[in-house]
Amino acid sequence: MPKPKISSDWMAGCSGCHMSLLDMDERILEIIELADLRATPITDLKEPDESGVDVGILEGGINNSSNEEVAHRMRARSKILVALGDCAVFGGVPALRNMCGTQEALRRAYIEAESNDESGKIPDDPELATMSNVRALHEVVDVDVFIPGCPPDADVIYYALKELAQGRMPEIKNEKLHWH
Amino acid sequence: MINLTINGKPITVEPDTTVLSAARQNGIHIPTLCDHPHLTPYGGCRLCVVEVKGMRVPIAACTLPAADGMSVETDTPALRESRATILNLLFSERNHFCPFCQVSGNDCQLQQAAYGQDITHWDIQPQWKNFPVDTSHPHFILDNNRCILCRRCLRACAEMSGNFTISVEERGAATLIIADNGVPFGESTCVSCGSCVQVCPTGALIDRQSAYLGQNTHLTTTKTVCAGCSVGCGITVYTRDNRIVKIHGDWDAFNAGTICKTGRFTPLEPAPARIQSPLIRVAGKLTPTSWEEALAAAAEAVKPGQTAAYASPRLPLESLRAFQQIFAPQAAPAAESVDGKLDALRNADCVLILGVDLAKTHEVLGFMVKRNLPKGTKLIVIDPAPNSWDELAHIAIKPVAEQDVPAEMAAVIRQNGLARIPTWPGASVSADETITAAAEMFARAVAPAIVYAGDPGQALLDLAKLTGVVDSERSGLIPVKGAANSAGAIQLGVDKALWPENATAYIALGDDIPSPELLAALENIPFLVVQSAYENALTDRADVVLPAMTWAEQPGTYLNLDGRAQTATPSLTAPAGVRDNTSILEILAKTAGITN
Repeated sequence: MPKPKISSDWMAGCSGCHMSLLDMDERILEIIELADLRATPITDLKEPDESGVDVGILEGGINNSSNEEVAHRMRARSKILVALGDCAVFGGVPALRNMCGTQEALRRAYIEAESNDESGKIPDDPELATMSNVRALHEVVDVDVFIPGCPPDADVIYYALKELAQGRMPEIKNEKLHWH
Repeated sequence: MINLTINGKPITVEPDTTVLSAARQNGIHIPTLCDHPHLTPYGGCRLCVVEVKGMRVPIAACTLPAADGMSVETDTPALRESRATILNLLFSERNHFCPFCQVSGNDCQLQQAAYGQDITHWDIQPQWKNFPVDTSHPHFILDNNRCILCRRCLRACAEMSGNFTISVEERGAATLIIADNGVPFGESTCVSCGSCVQVCPTGALIDRQSAYLGQNTHLTTTKTVCAGCSVGCGITVYTRDNRIVKIHGDWDAFNAGTICKTGRFTPLEPAPARIQSPLIRVAGKLTPTSWEEALAAAAEAVKPGQTAAYASPRLPLESLRAFQQIFAPQAAPAAESVDGKLDALRNADCVLILGVDLAKTHEVLGFMVKRNLPKGTKLIVIDPAPNSWDELAHIAIKPVAEQDVPAEMAAVIRQNGLARIPTWPGASVSADETITAAAEMFARAVAPAIVYAGDPGQALLDLAKLTGVVDSERSGLIPVKGAANSAGAIQLGVDKALWPENATAYIALGDDIPSPELLAALENIPFLVVQSAYENALTDRADVVLPAMTWAEQPGTYLNLDGRAQTATPSLTAPAGVRDNTSILEILAKTAGITN
């Protein structure tokens, strides 16, 4: 039987959840024994196989049209979709800009910020993705497994991947359940 | 007794027990948020809903009285789903993003409640509305974005401190916790007791000093006694790396968690410079020296009966006893104590306050009175000086010079036949209307109490007996005694400074600050020894300085105003080279040849 394929990507996050994934240290070898680690932001292959993967993992919330594309692509190509970390699960720290609105946040960052000079300008290149309110992953696509945490513990990620790699659904509760 | 079953387990409880209490008494966990064991049940959050056989819908256990034959289920799949929905709705109302919240980790009861229901995500996302953050208060911050409207703060403000500063405005999800009629907290009637912060289950009320200095699990806790005044409240001191992070009222102590600004926040204020080594004056300048030399120089000056001496009544009883043995071995123990019991305030329906401003001193004693006012407790304030409670009082009396109001009240009571004990009618009196009204109000009370400062005087004792303030069952004549161990100092006969003429002086301050009177009295003293934790105007002037521990560093016993002896446990380690006040005095006694 071929090993289950796992792919991951990141969106509006800080990459901390992937750093926490790497924090499982040598235990990642056990995961590689059990599963075929495909496209991730930290491997050469950048997009999940068109033929599909068994498990797709997404870090970060969805804050623009590019993130939306990533989310839809991962959903379409994964049997099981995992929301990894507080941003993917709840919206997280980036979602706090929803409190003031995207335009206000852009103005504060690009024009008003103390480090800007007089020429402050909000980027408006038409090639850029269109910004939106920050949304949790499950607001855009269906999610099968939620692993909250900022970031989730390496131990929890290891547990979840090991379960998924062996065809079981991880149960995130009790000592494995943390939002911080 | 009431018999019911909870989760199939037969349980027997006292009448007037709620289903929640019945469950707790029997080790059955029902999740709660708005409930607090020391506050009146509110039934607001609905997290404690349970299923009761025969009842149409789940019902809040915190406000449901246990009844005979009741069959209660606390943890069915339907209830778990209800609780998850309730929590999800709470999370959706405001900003409950955990990663940057001070209480996230272990201290947030909202987060813990969510973990308890295995909530991994929010089905309903937040509504992204901004709520006001009030940073105007010197000691704490109110962030309405973190608030779940459980109203614990409101209940603590009313039921613990009797201050009624906190209330709410608006309705439903727009409800806001406000101070007074919506003024900033820093400009409100808040007395900074901090009880609201202590009971807040989320990060909505956080205290400026302790915020982000660590979760409770990172802190060391020590249960001890407040040295702020003679009430002697039980406190829990939270420390980290030998620093006090915060102080809470001890729920298990007699004050049941209520403390005041002096107990909670004053010890966190910046302290004066610490004295780290014994000092001796050499060529006009204080110079570090060894303990041996400093004690020898101090002992040289100490001549019982000839040395002016004063011990701070903030010192532990053991220190005061050692002080007494050296400086006042013949001190007469105080006459039989007439101390009332603070318990008498619990059900007092009329309280007479005589010559003390309970907003300025002994605030917790004041809270014990004020929180009963909504129950109809009457308040009479007699004070020649302007008193913070003049407006609060039902009757405020401003005696003129030499006027003995208690004597006039007693006379009215005798004359009008209102005394509780057999008495003679007494001479006819011409008390004015106010005093007559006060006398009648006080005499008609079922459980009257008196709070006074200083010498009670014969008239007050007489009034207390006539009105049943003091009888075989009650002792409601409560003296405000001043410092943490003033009662102990009085018992040992060392409550007043000893001033022989032409004397050298020994002043045991501990961590106290010298009063202007003390400084003035010691103006021309030829040789001055000061035992002190901190540098101050007196140590500047001293010839020998002995570095002492603070209240938080030394063990000891404190006798409070109603005669309760309580043990203080050290919460901090003193700097090297500093000794505890009792040891200093004991070694001094040996060095001076007074004890072996």
